[in-house]
Amino acid sequence: MTTLQPRPGPAASLLTAINGTTLRDRGGAETVAVPAAQLETAAHHLAAGGARLADLFAADGDQVTLRLIWGFDTERQYLITETPLDSPEYPPLSDIAPAAFTEECEIYEQFGVRPASGKPLNRVALPPHAGKDFPRLGHQPPEAPAEAHAPHTVGGQAFEFPFGPVRQVGVESLYYGLVTSGEEIVDLYLFTWHKHRGLEWRLRGRRPAEAMFLAERTEGLSATAVTWALAAAVESALGAEPPPGALLTRGIALELERLYNHAAAMAALCQSTGLSVGQAAAEIALERLLRVNAATFGHRYLFGVLDAGGVRRAPDQAALRDGLPGAYGELRRAADALLGTNSFMDRLEATGIVTTEQARRLGLVGPVARAAGVPIDSRLDQPTAPYSVHPPALAVRDAGDVLARFRVMLDEAADSVRLIGDLLDAGPGDGATALPTGGGSGLGWAESPRGEALAWVSLDADGRITRARLRPASVRNWRGFDDAARSQNVFTDIPIIEASFWLTVAGTAR
Amino acid sequence: MPLWFARGLRRGIVTTHYPARPDPSAACLPTPPAFRTGMIDRQLAGELVAAGPSQALHRDGDVLVFDVSRCTACGRCQEVAPLAVTPSGEFELAGTSQAAFVKKIGLVLEAGQ
Repeated sequence: MTTLQPRPGPAASLLTAINGTTLRDRGGAETVAVPAAQLETAAHHLAAGGARLADLFAADGDQVTLRLIWGFDTERQYLITETPLDSPEYPPLSDIAPAAFTEECEIYEQFGVRPASGKPLNRVALPPHAGKDFPRLGHQPPEAPAEAHAPHTVGGQAFEFPFGPVRQVGVESLYYGLVTSGEEIVDLYLFTWHKHRGLEWRLRGRRPAEAMFLAERTEGLSATAVTWALAAAVESALGAEPPPGALLTRGIALELERLYNHAAAMAALCQSTGLSVGQAAAEIALERLLRVNAATFGHRYLFGVLDAGGVRRAPDQAALRDGLPGAYGELRRAADALLGTNSFMDRLEATGIVTTEQARRLGLVGPVARAAGVPIDSRLDQPTAPYSVHPPALAVRDAGDVLARFRVMLDEAADSVRLIGDLLDAGPGDGATALPTGGGSGLGWAESPRGEALAWVSLDADGRITRARLRPASVRNWRGFDDAARSQNVFTDIPIIEASFWLTVAGTAR
Repeated sequence: MPLWFARGLRRGIVTTHYPARPDPSAACLPTPPAFRTGMIDRQLAGELVAAGPSQALHRDGDVLVFDVSRCTACGRCQEVAPLAVTPSGEFELAGTSQAAFVKKIGLVLEAGQ
């Protein structure tokens, strides 16, 4: 093991606190070894220093290794702590950083190790019938996870209203447990495991080029962002540098992805508020944006654009310059009409509030966090090309309600159009750098329409994946949905809140 | 509300009729491949099978078997052999049995094979 000198900043401060060592320092992410006995001290030190726990996951080798990814958004870097566990329990990290709870549940399902607090852990990804032969990343837990999301037997005047997993045509499988006193939502919990596809398990043993195909299907509406994160992780692990023109192309694809997602969220908001003409107007804009995607990159949902080391195709610049102004104009006209429609605005205002404190405590990302006054955007906080040269404008609101999220999306859509123009002028191209041989590990990220998407990958000497961790933004933001739904809302507000979060079940169930 | 009424009349028209002619935007959609018989030998068939990520292609002796129902039109096989594999232009697929989606392409055999 090579010991490196940490650069001044969070890692050096942590190493002083725990007397640890730096293992790797690549591409804006520093990896620090933290012994199991020091993990609690390290988590306290980092959380107290303002670090954001962005992800927590495990890998199975000779022993289970726990990795925590911390975002230092003002210092513009990520810090990864790496802790081999020598027992089936580890310090209760969600007591220190509440955002870690979902991952603690996931790690228990997949690896059978758990926080030492003894608190019940929920079923989040694997279905109830997952026995010992069910494909999982590690070992089956000694006991099945508890279904402890909410009381299934409720007292007083409240009762539980089950809804899903089949909800309506074209909507992903999701089970709602709504606890209500008749109108107001008292509690809400979700089962997302119906859509589990074992994607991280399927990625093991694959070469990066093969993995891209599965990565872009992890969360189809974030195909570019998730694939970019995985490609960047591979490039970081192997020390590959994509061609500059390819990075511009990635930026164009990602901003097109943001545009059509925000248009789709606007259409969903109209549907959930019963404004069918507004929905039709937003869907016309959405359809035109999808056609721009197809004309520019050959796929309506931008599949097949990215590759490890670069991109597989360059944008059709003439088609993009020709089609985008009209498509965005359609979106803008629909948005302006909606902003002038009182019956629509009344439904959005003060609905589904997420406070700044909740957003920070739960580690929320993307428009949901930014609408709650948390100014995080990985394009600015951990900038990589092309955003280091072409930075986006940060869209932030304070109210934390559905209206604030809608306004953040509209601001971002306008800025995406500006960014696409800048990136086109800079000369996007195609091509990919050949990946060097050899193994390694690395972290990659991209700002999806839903927020920060992360990927961590470990490759063996043959260049095959031994562990790939995919953490789309949906994994983070679903945990804020419960709180938003409980904030003095009624039944009919739930679809409006869900549309404004614009998350996917596929992304969180994977 | 009058604004929405006017917009609805002008733009919110919905039709359930099947399009009388192909939509021009369909021209840039990805479509499953068409394989040119007489241009694919055993080696190329192996490369095509290896390139496909969705197991739509496999070899059965000297036949390349293409299951179009498994094809995602990713275009990787067309990148491997652009002369032998071209976009079919067909994206409206329907059948009454799985066998209707399976195509068999005979491989070119060299003398003595």
